[in-house]
Amino acid sequence: MQLKISEYLRPEAIIMEIKAKDKIAAINELVDHMVRNKLVSNGEEFVKALAKRENLESTGIGDGIAIPHARTNAVEDLILAFARSPKGIDFSSIDGKPSHIIFLIASPEGKKSEYIMALAKLSRFLRKHAVRELLRNAKDPVDVMDIVKKNEE
Amino acid sequence: MNFTRSLLVLTEDADQSILSVAVQFCKNSGSRLFVLFVIEPDRISRLASLTHQKVKVLHKKTEEDGWKLLYLIEDEAVENGVWTSLHLEQGNLLQMTKHYVDAYEIDVLLIKKKEGSKRIFVSCSVPVIGL
Repeated sequence: MQLKISEYLRPEAIIMEIKAKDKIAAINELVDHMVRNKLVSNGEEFVKALAKRENLESTGIGDGIAIPHARTNAVEDLILAFARSPKGIDFSSIDGKPSHIIFLIASPEGKKSEYIMALAKLSRFLRKHAVRELLRNAKDPVDVMDIVKKNEE
Repeated sequence: MNFTRSLLVLTEDADQSILSVAVQFCKNSGSRLFVLFVIEPDRISRLASLTHQKVKVLHKKTEEDGWKLLYLIEDEAVENGVWTSLHLEQGNLLQMTKHYVDAYEIDVLLIKKKEGSKRIFVSCSVPVIGL
């Protein structure tokens, strides 16, 4: 199955400058943003599922990247969201560095293979230094969408 | 013997059956699970020349498959309430394993039993369990 991460990211799921200073506040801010834009119906359940993962692992994969994620029926389809934090947020990253780029992924319980594939694609995509730099310097949500589209394989 | 920090080492030939065993081991022993997937460039080069494929294509596939394995085991670990930390590295399997054992103060190593893993069994400073 060929999956394109750009197909699951929408401009209304992008926050160019997140205000939160810690990971749970960042997750709450992103989910609130998604609820306001009608991308998620049950924000409370969604946050609960994401927080459960954060308690059992570090979703900070290093190099200033965090990928909070969950499988939950609070979403109807695979969904991605993006946020950027100029100051960085502590996601207990494996390299101890704060996360400046946050990609959130969620999928319904029943879409495990699609969800695993999206996580794998995104993790590989974000290991590229050039991509991380482009995302850190993106001007607006359209620019973020464009960078993802042009640089994914 | 109590184990608190387990390291599961995976390579591109790992099969999914060992993932559940590793998660259950950590659940039963109350251990944290560090999972390391190692991409071995020499192995990829050899495989590329044997199968007449491009190294770049094989590398991309191996890396993507590695992330899939890591997230599969993480998904199962979360369902079982086991703490996990995922890592993907490129380099020599033995050197990388030794580095992780030291860096993360690992007290037991879990690895798939195969011809190439013998060197890890004999040279690792912590107990090694072959799955």
